[in-house]
Amino acid sequence: MNALFSTIGQNLFLVFGLLACAGAAVMILSTSAVHSVLGFLFSMIMVAACFLCLHAEFLGMAQLLVYAGGIVVLFLFVVMLVELTKYKEKSLFTTQFKWSLPLVLIALGIFAVTLKSNLFGPAAPVALSLSPDLAQGLSATAQNAQMVSRGLFAGFLLPLEILSVILLVALVGALVLAKSERVS
Amino acid sequence: MISLNTVLFISSLMFFIGVAGVLIRRNLLIILMSVELMLNAANLNLIAFARYSGTVEGQAFALLVMGFAAAEVAIGLALAVALYRRKDTVQADDINLLNG
Repeated sequence: MNALFSTIGQNLFLVFGLLACAGAAVMILSTSAVHSVLGFLFSMIMVAACFLCLHAEFLGMAQLLVYAGGIVVLFLFVVMLVELTKYKEKSLFTTQFKWSLPLVLIALGIFAVTLKSNLFGPAAPVALSLSPDLAQGLSATAQNAQMVSRGLFAGFLLPLEILSVILLVALVGALVLAKSERVS
Repeated sequence: MISLNTVLFISSLMFFIGVAGVLIRRNLLIILMSVELMLNAANLNLIAFARYSGTVEGQAFALLVMGFAAAEVAIGLALAVALYRRKDTVQADDINLLNG
């Protein structure tokens, strides 16, 4: 029993990753849109857990806040607004269903074969850590957050500012698009 | 510790579930969710590369991708609501205004 637990502990990433894929499968296969959103939520939480397994603590928390907290709620609102039962879906899948699914499976197979034949090196011995004089008295999580902020503001300052402008444009654009038209 | 190939395989599996969702579903909202799923799979790759090379650029880039995904979903959902208001449907097959 202990051996089983330690095996699971070593392969925690695999467990979370497969659960995320299962949530994604529920998302694209379920008949009700609300169930799809719930599958999406489960998948996003599991992806956040995967991030934590890869020692990206800051991004894992950001993923939980942005996706599970923001985007899923937005989706749920729009599903409630739009997806009324009076317009029952005529059929769940598109007509090219029979063609697209084998294509996707073939592509996945090609990827799997490629990844199996290309072996990448082992993990870096220490997950992202600050230099010792900066890291004094900080927990691993705080170190990761500081590390990401240094990388972001030192190397990616211009993209970050462009991103903020894009978010503003998206905000205003969404407001304009979704506003009801008044008859004057 | 799992190998990098395992991470890449899991994320490609997730990516292709997203591709399948875009290709086979008719509901516009589920197509949007599948696009989000594909972006997440790409994020997982970036973070795995950051972990396995010991550099920070992958994580910084993943944060940027997350922001872009948020902007994209806001615009996409606003478009879905506007379409529903004009055409009373969010089924991708019924939206064929430009179809000759």
